[in-house]
Amino acid sequence: MDNKTVETISYLARLKLDKDKKEKITKDLENIIDFVAELQDLNTKDVAPLSNPLEKVAPKREDSVNSKSRKEAFLTNSPESDQDYFVVPKVVE
Amino acid sequence: MNIRFKTLAELKELLEKKEISSYELVKETFKNISSSKTNSFITLDEEAALNRARDFDEGKVDGDLAGIPIAQKDLFCTKNLRTTCGSKILENFIPPYDATVVDNLSAAGSICVGKTNMDEFAMGSSNETSFYGTVRNPWDLERVPGGSSGGSAAAVSEGLVCAATGTDTGGSIRQPAALCGITGIKPTYGRASRWGMIAFASSLDQAGAFARNAEDCALLLNHICSHDLKDSTSISDLQENYLDNINNDLKGKKIGIIKEFDISSLSKEVQDSFEQSKKIFEALGANFVEVSMPNIKLSVPTYYVVAPAECSSNLSRFDGVKYGYRAKDVDNLEELYIKSRSEGFGDEVKRRILIGTYVLSAGFYDAYYKKAQQTRRMIKNDFVDAFNKVDVIMSPSSPSSAFKIGSKTEDPIEMYLEDLFTISSNLAGVPAMSIPHGFSDGLPIGLQLIGNYLEESKILNFAHQYQKNSDWHFKTPNLGESS
Repeated sequence: MDNKTVETISYLARLKLDKDKKEKITKDLENIIDFVAELQDLNTKDVAPLSNPLEKVAPKREDSVNSKSRKEAFLTNSPESDQDYFVVPKVVE
Repeated sequence: MNIRFKTLAELKELLEKKEISSYELVKETFKNISSSKTNSFITLDEEAALNRARDFDEGKVDGDLAGIPIAQKDLFCTKNLRTTCGSKILENFIPPYDATVVDNLSAAGSICVGKTNMDEFAMGSSNETSFYGTVRNPWDLERVPGGSSGGSAAAVSEGLVCAATGTDTGGSIRQPAALCGITGIKPTYGRASRWGMIAFASSLDQAGAFARNAEDCALLLNHICSHDLKDSTSISDLQENYLDNINNDLKGKKIGIIKEFDISSLSKEVQDSFEQSKKIFEALGANFVEVSMPNIKLSVPTYYVVAPAECSSNLSRFDGVKYGYRAKDVDNLEELYIKSRSEGFGDEVKRRILIGTYVLSAGFYDAYYKKAQQTRRMIKNDFVDAFNKVDVIMSPSSPSSAFKIGSKTEDPIEMYLEDLFTISSNLAGVPAMSIPHGFSDGLPIGLQLIGNYLEESKILNFAHQYQKNSDWHFKTPNLGESS
């Protein structure tokens, strides 16, 4: 886990680390990755990955509208909105 | 009337006999909260709570929990009441809807007095990662209450409320319950709806309850749990009344002790309490069986791949656009995302997002994430095998009693090991609870009871029988001037 890797994953996660914290976080990440690395030596051949403890198939339902639109309620929570839209900085030059 | 430390059942009786009104109960609750020094609450809702109490007193509200003040962990969305999840990024978030668990408890007549403090996004074992300040343990204000549901645990322990909700992703109900000397239960994954719970690791997160004893937890669970079409992982199997089997005889029942959990490395007091608790169950007619769970030692590393992976995905929704914190002075959309997230999240959340991003990134996915999903199955299989031999599994809830604030913040891994005994139940998805069973260094410690899938009733039965034959759950902290 070097500086370059930390920079790459920070960008993938859309995070920017403070300069004064970068060194500590890099070291922490290195230790954590070392800590979980013991899994890599295990023989897991023929073991199917488990992504959810219940292993149930998601139930299906009728594709029908069952709640009324709450557009206003949700727009109220946005940092900036205009009529029906969330406002963000300009994305097209 | 002094209502502090009264159980849910006791308060119900006082209300039924009209020895106290719900209004008085709520008033008294807020009086106690205002003198509290534990920082258990992030947001209070006094006016709404008093209105609801009046409604109860006027006969307009009924239900199993009618008129009883409770607290909600600040991870559950509460309609029109600020929900922060312990984070700056949600400092101004006012949900337009209630979580199903909140809805259920409200339908049962309970009164929400406020939202309890917690580790940011439930990531932590000490409540020190909250943006709203560390919660203090009522038994010793210099120590942590555990986490992540530390505010709920401290509020019940201190007698501010008789019951509170919590969530448990890797031990976040059981470890704080243990460190605060109260009872806490996490049901089977899927038994309680996750709708309206702010997601951390969706395949591990589960709602549950804190109370002063197992019987109150059973009553709460009757309402917290439900089948919910809004959560696709919600279990549709018939739900029991968790009070029905609470008085069953334990004669001939088998309790598993996990061979691979090395208790001899823990403090003498933790070991002695464990032995004492075994004697109580033996006297009740239960037998002990050693069960080997060879993969359980992989739980903590497995968890610290799976949970951060899911967290990095779940927390990508916080982008400063639709709700939550938005950074100022940005030139473009990408900068808006980066600045909002970097200013809005705390260090531990960032660490976990980065770990998750790393283990899911191209080239590392198979080595870390897929591998951890495989070891997760091996751990689950250990539980399936063990429950072919025993009724419940017993272990300490945490390696030690509450530690000093600041003592484990420098080393994340040391903090992660706090959940050594609790994490495996989340990976497998089985129900588990913690009950008070002694003291170490003058501070409470907990006993963990783990059950098979959907056997909440069985662990509650064991816990209730234990509590009928012990008095640890009656112990309360000395609050000094704050009481």
